Amino acid sequence: MDAFSKLPEEINHLVSEFSSMPVVGGLGAGLTQYSVWLLVAAIVFAAIMLVFIKRQTLVPRGVFVNGVEYLIEYVQDDVAKGVVGTEWRRHFPFLATIFLFILVNNFIGLIPGCKPGTGAIGCTAALALVTFIYFVYFGCKKHGVIGYIKSLAPAGVMFPMNVFVWVIEVFSLLLRPITLAIRLFCNMFAGHIVMGSFSIMATLFAEPLLEHFSAMNALGALPSLAWLAILLIIYAVELIVAFVQAYVFTVLAAVYIQIAEAEGH
Amino acid sequence: MGVIGYGLGVIGAGLAIGLAAFGATSAMARQPEVQGRAFTVFILASAFTEALGLIGFVVTLIS
Repeated sequence: MDAFSKLPEEINHLVSEFSSMPVVGGLGAGLTQYSVWLLVAAIVFAAIMLVFIKRQTLVPRGVFVNGVEYLIEYVQDDVAKGVVGTEWRRHFPFLATIFLFILVNNFIGLIPGCKPGTGAIGCTAALALVTFIYFVYFGCKKHGVIGYIKSLAPAGVMFPMNVFVWVIEVFSLLLRPITLAIRLFCNMFAGHIVMGSFSIMATLFAEPLLEHFSAMNALGALPSLAWLAILLIIYAVELIVAFVQAYVFTVLAAVYIQIAEAEGH
Repeated sequence: MGVIGYGLGVIGAGLAIGLAAFGATSAMARQPEVQGRAFTVFILASAFTEALGLIGFVVTLIS
C-alpha cells in the first residue's frame, strides 16, 4: 500500500510538532506553543468568570449562569463536601480553581488547531507541585511541623515496625505529585497523538482521490471513511477524558488534603 | 522493540480495565439501584488504570 509507506514519516512529524517548541525567545526563557495556549486558556477562564460574576443574580437565569453554577456546585457537593468533609469551606476555593482551570485548558485543546495547555509536562508539574505544597502546608498547620512528620506513620503500630511504615509513607507522599503530574500530562498528550494519527490516516487514503479523480482512486479512498468514523469515536471519548481528568485531579487533591488533615493517621 | 514493549505493558492496563468493568457490571446486575454510583466509580478506576497504559504509550513515543 502506498498510503502506509508514508505513515511513519507523518507520525514522526506529528510527534515532533507536539513537543514543546519556542514561539518567542528560547526554551529557557520564552514562550512555547503550550504557554501561548495556557495564556489563552487563562484569559478565557478569567473572561468566563468575570461575565459570570456580572450576570449573577439571586435566582440564576439563562443557560450560561446556570451552567457555570452547576459546575461549581458539583465541585462543592461532590468533591469538597464529599471527600474533604467538615473542613470543606476552607479548601473549596482551591479545589474549584484547580478543577475549572484544568477543565478550560482541556476543552480548549479539543478545538481543532488549538493545543491543550495541560499537554506539556511543565504545566502539570507546576499544578501538582502547588497541590503538594498546599496539602503539606495545611498538614503542618494542623499538627505542627514535627507533629505532621510524626503523623505520617499510623498510630497504634509497635516501635520497630512504625519506622518502616514511616519510610514507606514518606515515599508515597513524595510520589503523589509525580503521579498527579504524569497522569494528566499523559492523558492529554497521548489522546491528542491518537487523534492526530487517525486524522493523518484519513487524509493519507483520500489524498490520491483529491489529486486525480478516478474509479480506482475512489475505491482506495474508502478506508478513510472508516478512519474518519474511528476518529469521531475517539473525539467523543476525548470529550469524556477532558472532563474525567480534571475531576480525577481535583478528587485526588481533595483526598490528599483530607489525609494530611486527618487525626491519628 | 519499543512497540513490542508497549504491547507487553498494555496487557496489564487492559486486564485492569477489564476487571473494573467486570466488577461494575456484576455490581449493577446484583443491585440495579447503585447504577449511577457504580458507573462513576468505574470511570474513576478506569481513568487511574488507563493512565498506566498511556504512560507506556508516551514513553514509547519519546524514547
